[in-house]
Amino acid sequence: MTISQAAPAAVKILVAGGFGVGKTTLVGAVSEVAPLRTEEFLTKASIGVDDLAGVGQKDTTTVALDFGRITVSPELVVYLFGTPGQERFWFMWNDLVNGALGGVVIADTRRLETSFASIDFFESRDIPFVVAINCFHGHNSRTPDEIRAALDLDPHVPLLVGDVRERSFGRDVLLALVDHLMSLPVAAG
Amino acid sequence: MTPHWEDEETEEDGAGTMVRPYTITRGRTAPERDDFTLITVLTTAQDPRDGHGAAVHPGRLQPEHRMILERCRRPAAVAEVSADLNLPVSVTKILLADLVAQGLLLARAPLSVARASGGADMGMLAALRDGLGRL
Repeated sequence: MTISQAAPAAVKILVAGGFGVGKTTLVGAVSEVAPLRTEEFLTKASIGVDDLAGVGQKDTTTVALDFGRITVSPELVVYLFGTPGQERFWFMWNDLVNGALGGVVIADTRRLETSFASIDFFESRDIPFVVAINCFHGHNSRTPDEIRAALDLDPHVPLLVGDVRERSFGRDVLLALVDHLMSLPVAAG
Repeated sequence: MTPHWEDEETEEDGAGTMVRPYTITRGRTAPERDDFTLITVLTTAQDPRDGHGAAVHPGRLQPEHRMILERCRRPAAVAEVSADLNLPVSVTKILLADLVAQGLLLARAPLSVARASGGADMGMLAALRDGLGRL
């Protein structure tokens, strides 16, 4: 008897943005499970594994990563990963970046600059992304055009404004990302 | 009878210290294979067989190995196993590789979405769009 033994295919979407901007909140709003947390050692990637034996290992530290999942169908599962808030940890997350379908950059209009690094991160790695402006308490004094200019966004990058606590906004952000992916020119080969 | 560990460690060595991170991998810091990603999906093999069709008898398994086999009766990604077992990703990968090597666990690599090799499959994106629309 085959009880759907076949594993679903998995894709991942990265959720980035400055510290405290609502990454895990957005993940939790659309995930079918409460956001999970996993950890990785900082030392493993920052120094060669072979060198570990000779290094004082007394203060092993870890970087935490929050993620959620959306089962699209029995054959397809989407994992949403919040990137570590501190940009200085990103270098070690090659596994996180490799194979990512695309990204969401969350920005807060009161401190847009905290999301510049996330935009640079995706642009430099050629990862398609959308920008979600998180309006806490409906607080938003700037127009989308002003925000777009302030972020120096390419015209084709989708920008949405809403409340990341709302499932419907998270859904719309992810749909905008998928539409964006479908609109991109297909590379030769 | 004196517990054996008192023969090997002084009390101050053991008192109040955390378990070293690679204890449960018996000191190994890298998996047998390096192709696991955070979203490689693992499924426990039902009725595992070796290359000659003979039933596989598990080798020496640690409690964490058994917990993984239990958890992966329903397919789970590396990150989920890591989170559920409360083990760091690198430790989890080592344990997963042990089980895959024994044929007790099946691994499925993530879909290739690299833009350099043509990007994501349009059919997959359409399915994704349908699924997300139902949120």
